[in-house]
Amino acid sequence: MPKEESTPKKGVSRRDFLKIGGTVAAAAQVGAAAGAGLSAGRDPSTLTGWQHLGDNTQFVDRRPLEIDGLPYEIVGETRRPAEVESVFGRGGLIMRGMMSEMRSRRPPGPEAGGEKSRPEPEKPPEAVGDIPPEAAPSYGPPRMKMPAPDRFGPALTEYYRKFPDIYELDKVRMESILPRKRQDTAKYGDYYTLIDAWSACWSTGVPITEPPEISDFKTGGGMGGGRRIREPVPFKSPAHASRLIKKVAHHFGAAMVGIAKMNPDWCYDHNLRGSGDRGFWEVPKHWKYVIAFGVPHQWEQVNSNPNCGSSFDAYSRATIAAQRLENFIKELGYPARRHSPMDGYDLIAVPFLVAAGLGQQGRHGIVITPEAGSNFRAAFVTTSLPMEIDKPIDFGVNEFCRDCRICAEICPSRSISFEDNNEKMTTRGYRHWEINQTSCFNYWMQSMGGLGCRLCLIACPYSRKNNWVHAMAREIDTRDPTGLANDGFTWMQKTFFKWPKAEEYLPPPDGRFATFREPPEWLKTGNYLDIPFLDPTKGE
Amino acid sequence: MITGTSIFFLIAGALTGLVIPAAAAGARDLGLGMRWWKWLLAGAWYLLLLFFVFMDFTIIGEGEPAAGMKMLLFQGVILIILGVGLVRVLRAGRKRKSS
Repeated sequence: MPKEESTPKKGVSRRDFLKIGGTVAAAAQVGAAAGAGLSAGRDPSTLTGWQHLGDNTQFVDRRPLEIDGLPYEIVGETRRPAEVESVFGRGGLIMRGMMSEMRSRRPPGPEAGGEKSRPEPEKPPEAVGDIPPEAAPSYGPPRMKMPAPDRFGPALTEYYRKFPDIYELDKVRMESILPRKRQDTAKYGDYYTLIDAWSACWSTGVPITEPPEISDFKTGGGMGGGRRIREPVPFKSPAHASRLIKKVAHHFGAAMVGIAKMNPDWCYDHNLRGSGDRGFWEVPKHWKYVIAFGVPHQWEQVNSNPNCGSSFDAYSRATIAAQRLENFIKELGYPARRHSPMDGYDLIAVPFLVAAGLGQQGRHGIVITPEAGSNFRAAFVTTSLPMEIDKPIDFGVNEFCRDCRICAEICPSRSISFEDNNEKMTTRGYRHWEINQTSCFNYWMQSMGGLGCRLCLIACPYSRKNNWVHAMAREIDTRDPTGLANDGFTWMQKTFFKWPKAEEYLPPPDGRFATFREPPEWLKTGNYLDIPFLDPTKGE
Repeated sequence: MITGTSIFFLIAGALTGLVIPAAAAGARDLGLGMRWWKWLLAGAWYLLLLFFVFMDFTIIGEGEPAAGMKMLLFQGVILIILGVGLVRVLRAGRKRKSS
């Protein structure tokens, strides 16, 4: 037998080396996929647009999604929103009614022959630093008595007669929720020191103090501001105007922009800003177009709603974008007025956002956009500048919301409907998803941190970081006519992603002031501040 | 992070140049009698593995570690089931050849 055949070969053959190398390479590829995935998930450029400016933030091509006409079915006589219909408008009327009630019950003063009923007012502190902490702004007096429904002005009395359940909810808020909020703030407030500071620091409002026929025709503040606007500079075409306005709006800080025609049905009928009159007003003739835009929230903080998030970051950014855009249009000689979270609105947001093609109204009553889902805050500029308008879009939100219901399940105040569809929901003649705004507002008044809730906004499966996983899901879902993708993604969302149950977001002892996700480390008071606090999330 | 750079993806792609000839050599040694459709199935399984891993770690990276791990587990089971089926299909040719 030849010697070579009887002696086994030593070492690894080239063939085996190739196979081992290939196996190692395959394992390395799997590891590389994991590393690349981690990197893609953490990438800050996937934060849906707030952190960089430019028209690339509105990255979904809306042309294939456009529809003719509004997605709202008109099922009755349409009209403008009245003051009593809004929780904020009603809040002012309630406070005035309560003050009036208190005055009427007060014993007559010494000038009327009665005993002195009020102590002398304390001398105001000489400097802000002298204000004792107890005198810091709170959520109203500790004990309040809601007057009977017929003790308010005629509009509110009539409203409460028609909707006694809303009177009960308002009463619960004034008599029970607000006093309890004071107690919770006294007990747990220190735990929320950083989020309170984060929320309060965004103040950017510049109140509008003149009516539209004056303020809309004056250039903005700053150097050379306050003069009458120049003669309008003609554009080459409305399409050019539209294109330019959208471009600059993006650079001013708007992640998404659309343009709609004015519809007076969607303007409040009371409290025109700057008019000094709480009563009815006609929509100014120069409000012909509405530029609608949205600015997303900072992702990490909004993800820790409701108790460690804030509305005010996006409020502020949207307001600044609106101020800039208003000034820009005025500098070109066209009257303009901003409507923004910090400067106030004379119109309601949702229908104009829908009409301008930014998104569709979801089950939770707010707008879902293809780019940011519901994670954004809206602002508007009304103007006479002729522009090409956008069409509403349909990317399957109605069908998605019909099946999903995550927002309804997670809502701590049960304000969002579980109904299969919105056929029984009509607001001022328009059919669309609606929520119980009063019970929603009542929960705002219970939550800690930056005031508000925003849970539905962040729990919506459309509100996700803009990385490739969610972009792929969005692309598939909006183009799948069978609904299978919709069902599959909803199942995945509910199966793999977990969050606290609705009642856990309530104050102790019913809940534990839970947050949707852990707050970012930079909003955890204990990580930075040397103060004692009770942590309600741990049952303290 | 290196994993977010172009050079990383270049290197990761270049590794494919090692995996493919190694797979071919392994299949020959095992006598699997590879045909184009077998390569297609094996390649699809491998791509699915990379896709699932990439997806799940993206979910982990965006701050949802629990969801990412659950998906990894769920998809791991799917991959194992598909892998067992794939091995049977690949080995079927070998049995016929030996008989």
